[in-house]
Amino acid sequence: MSTPAELRRNASPIPAQQPASSSASPGFNEDWLAVCIGLFTFACALGLLFGADLMGWAVTTSVWTRPGKALATVSKSYIALPGALALLATYLFLLIVLTVGAKLLGANLTRFATGFTMVFFLSYLCWFLGSWAYIAATPDKRQALKIGWSLNLTNESGFIVALLAGLIIGNFLPRVYEFIKAGIRPELYIKTGIVILGGFLGITALDQRRLASAMLFQGICAIVCAYLIFWPIVYYVARRYFGFSREWAAPLASGISICGVSAAIATGSAIRARPIVPVMVSSLVVVFSVVELLILPFAAQHFLYHQPMVAGAWMGLAVKTDGAAVASGAITDALIRSKAFAASGLNFEPGWILGAATTVKVFIDIFIGVWAFVLAWIWSSKIERRQGDRVEAGEIWQRFPKFILGYVATFLIVLLIGTASPTLIPKVKAGMAQANVFRTIFFVMTFFSIGLVSNFRRLWQEGIAKLAAVYVTCLFGYIIWVGLLISWLFFNGMLPPMVKG
Amino acid sequence: MTEPSMGDELRKMKEEYEPLLPVEIKLIWVTFFAGIVLSVVLVLLSRSIG
Repeated sequence: MSTPAELRRNASPIPAQQPASSSASPGFNEDWLAVCIGLFTFACALGLLFGADLMGWAVTTSVWTRPGKALATVSKSYIALPGALALLATYLFLLIVLTVGAKLLGANLTRFATGFTMVFFLSYLCWFLGSWAYIAATPDKRQALKIGWSLNLTNESGFIVALLAGLIIGNFLPRVYEFIKAGIRPELYIKTGIVILGGFLGITALDQRRLASAMLFQGICAIVCAYLIFWPIVYYVARRYFGFSREWAAPLASGISICGVSAAIATGSAIRARPIVPVMVSSLVVVFSVVELLILPFAAQHFLYHQPMVAGAWMGLAVKTDGAAVASGAITDALIRSKAFAASGLNFEPGWILGAATTVKVFIDIFIGVWAFVLAWIWSSKIERRQGDRVEAGEIWQRFPKFILGYVATFLIVLLIGTASPTLIPKVKAGMAQANVFRTIFFVMTFFSIGLVSNFRRLWQEGIAKLAAVYVTCLFGYIIWVGLLISWLFFNGMLPPMVKG
Repeated sequence: MTEPSMGDELRKMKEEYEPLLPVEIKLIWVTFFAGIVLSVVLVLLSRSIG
């Protein structure tokens, strides 16, 4: 029988942020590391503005029928560099940058480097396999690739392949999992990816400012929806119908309603729950995010391909954890674009559906600190009155997800450059295309890592069934449908721009 | 003394039910109705802007 201490040690998924060790730099955590790596990559990519192609050697994978021709450099300036060497250069760049980061977090560098190397190459292998023409090619590309059929999943199917590979290793190959454990940092990878994504979305916003404003407006609505419509009902259901104590019901409600792991942990500490409570809730959130990730994008493709922006916002509202929500947005983006093209000949610009999902998720994240502050105040002053308890306003900043600052910075920098000097837009676009290579790699590593940390069997053994019952009831009986309704109300009839030419 | 497992704790929770306090009920309904009202306002706002 497991004790809570053992559970903390064994059942833990990757929490919102892996705690920094005692040798870590004070005040430095995964959020700040994600900001630093994201901004560094972004800044290097903008070297094109000054005539310096600093990132052109990064590797890209095109949809392939012959594997030898799949890999290439992202920029033509480096065309002489073979694809395999471009892959190696990309790996070395990320290894150096992330190892410096791991050093600042006080991690064991040898273990981290070994783990990261495995995560990188296995993830990239999945991405490569997902780009096989018979899986990825859209109908308009089949003739050029000389193939008669394909699954029409686009090369983003590499995300699904990575997730499945991670699930297999995490659930059936425990020794491999142990070997690469130190490199499994899904939250760091997705947060870095989101910082870089800000620049990419800045470019799309430059082209379509009216649509971008509408997306920001939807972000505000998402806050209302997650905190004020989802949270109280989930809390009530957990307390009234499933008999959960306050200590369990509050983190559970935050985990299911707001932003999975981060919100569960922030709420847990706001109400002074034992550490095992948010950890168990987080485990559940990660596992169900995987289930949603495998179902919702395909459901959206089937039922919402004519309402792409509704689908994107829905992913941001319904899928919990930053990683899975943004990842679902990426898959939905690819799936809906291919289906809309095949069914109606509509060729939507890429990125808008992903943008809607990300905006919604980021806006929800921003208020986690405020919500934790409110709950801490209510718990300490009204529910469990404790003498000497004082909730400081500084806690809002302490709990604020700092990576969002990086996302906002890259978004605004691109928007400002493009607005101030429209002649620079083509160079900024080329730079963001290079940065996007790294964003994609961080996303693939996120998918792979999410699969790795989702140990279904172990959670079941540890008596998580009752928590899962609340989760299933609230998620599939309430949140998904209300999230869809809210997305529909705000995005109904709004379409992404079409690809020009 | 051995600590109870999480599974046991979760199973026993319904038997040792903590009733909802008035302040919890207030929190639930005030936030929910605030959410509904704000959503309606935002929908109307988005329609009038759009």
